[in-house]
Amino acid sequence: MSSIIEIKDLTKRFKTRIAVNNINFNIEGGEIFGLVGPNGAGKTTTMRMLVTLLKPDHGEILVGGYSVRKQPNDVRRQIGFMPESFGVYGDMTVQEYLDFFGACYKIHPQQRAHLITDLLDLVDLGHRRDDMVDTLSTGLKQRLGLARVLIHDPSILVLDEPASGLDPRARVEIRELLLEVARLGKTILFSSHILADVGELCTRIGIIEDGKLAALGTLQQLSERVMPHRQIHIGLLHRKEEAQTLLQSIPGVSEVRAVENASRILLELDFSGDDEAIHQLLANLLSQGFPVIHFSEESKNLEEVFMRTTKGIVS
Amino acid sequence: METSTVTPHTNPTKPRNFLDRLMDNPVITKELKGRMRGRQGFIIIGAYIALISFFIVLIYVFLALDGSISNGDPSFLQTVGKVIFSTVILLELLMLGFIGPALTAGAISAERERKTIDLLRTSLLSARALVFGKLSSAVIFLLLLIFTAIPIQSLAFFLGGVGMTEMIISTLMLVITAIFFCTLGLFFSSFSQRTLIATVLSYASILISFIVFLLCLFFVAVLEGAISNYASQFLENTVSIITWFLFSTNPFFAATMSEAILINDQSIFMTTNNIMGTSSIPLPSPWIIYLVFYTILTLLMIRLSIYFVSRPDR
Repeated sequence: MSSIIEIKDLTKRFKTRIAVNNINFNIEGGEIFGLVGPNGAGKTTTMRMLVTLLKPDHGEILVGGYSVRKQPNDVRRQIGFMPESFGVYGDMTVQEYLDFFGACYKIHPQQRAHLITDLLDLVDLGHRRDDMVDTLSTGLKQRLGLARVLIHDPSILVLDEPASGLDPRARVEIRELLLEVARLGKTILFSSHILADVGELCTRIGIIEDGKLAALGTLQQLSERVMPHRQIHIGLLHRKEEAQTLLQSIPGVSEVRAVENASRILLELDFSGDDEAIHQLLANLLSQGFPVIHFSEESKNLEEVFMRTTKGIVS
Repeated sequence: METSTVTPHTNPTKPRNFLDRLMDNPVITKELKGRMRGRQGFIIIGAYIALISFFIVLIYVFLALDGSISNGDPSFLQTVGKVIFSTVILLELLMLGFIGPALTAGAISAERERKTIDLLRTSLLSARALVFGKLSSAVIFLLLLIFTAIPIQSLAFFLGGVGMTEMIISTLMLVITAIFFCTLGLFFSSFSQRTLIATVLSYASILISFIVFLLCLFFVAVLEGAISNYASQFLENTVSIITWFLFSTNPFFAATMSEAILINDQSIFMTTNNIMGTSSIPLPSPWIIYLVFYTILTLLMIRLSIYFVSRPDR
């Protein structure tokens, strides 16, 4: 796959504050790329430079080979942008709203009519097409916003906090919609504070802090970097001390911690080894008659990665 | 959804004339629809016509009660016609000054407040199309106001005293004034973050220009007395020309003086009368200076508005 977005040495300064400091990364076509970071880390500034709203002080962004500095209109043709908080024209109907933006992208009126029907079906707003935009709930407005960014059939969607301010149901619906859109072959770059969503949706993640790219990779790669051990949870009925002694003697186990609760014994261990080694570890315990009632590996958690990567610095 | 290929407007539907190009601008259609959808548009038109009608009826009733109209003296009826016509024009000029900036002071700043400006700026809509779209929709609405008042102006024709020339010149002045006042609001809106600030700046600039005009009147009165006995003819002429041009930028002065020149000199374009009454150099009629001055100022403000809208955030 080739890079559809190339960000090179990107820097943006607001008076004395450096909002984005020499950031470099590429996004491949068809990726769902998540940008996470604390408030004020530089995510929105990076996105605004990408969508031609802000001028970089230094560096370059190429979108589909077009420069955001020199060919902003070519870049705009390829990108659909949804800001974190965006307004709607309340005095228009849902259909008129999409038609207006279709016209802003110079789409032929007849083609717009078909597109609007398709898009409203996609975001499940077909039954509200003649309603005034003002009468839609926040979640439905967000869905309408998603339909709007798709009106000119862009290859890239840039979404700044698309699930911000939504109730849990609307959040899940937006997540499903993003997956649906990704299945249409779109590249999606989005930022979010809801790390569970980012972890679940994204093929790659970039963590920004203090204007710098602190980490970049798949969730697996990021986890391995900040948490080199696999974390195994073992639940026992009894024989805690014996099990601890045995586990500590097994190669690959670096630390064993006991987490006791009222009903059972829980051991947590940091382990370095492949799946075969984990199987051997469990077989070892069972062969020696330990009453194992729970055995699991902690899934890679973006929240943990995020907390370990960032230091809470805001530029 | 089927992945359909979106193609931009291509040749078959390419706009052919000015009207096509105008209606091809999505901002105009959106704004006009929005303006005429609610009651607001009809209320403004209704209030505008009602106010003008009220003053006309007031003048007519006043003269009728005086008994002058029933005498049927043609020259008196012509005077009545002129008074009615002038009143309508002056009222319209005054109201355009109020309504014009109100229509456009929020044109761009409201997009910022509503957080829709980024959606427009990341689309293929150019800053020029946005500015012209906003301006055109406001101007079209004001033109609607001007044209709805024409039947009232035409009452003057029944009474006489008003010719087609006056009608054309006054309509031209009204149109240019409408465009200027709309552009003024749009200009302040193009760089203001808040509509309130743009509105205050628009009306403040109108008020300041009026105060400056009054100061000029005072200054000329003083100057006339000071130089009439001592100054050379050249200095007198220079002051006279500058004053003439300055005063012609005031809509009320320009309208009144143009009418006076038309009656006294029987001339549409030139006059030898001037504000100080001491020189006989030929000068263009104030309405010409007025049209040229406000056209240039309007074009300049449109250019600046496009610049402010198109520049990327810093």
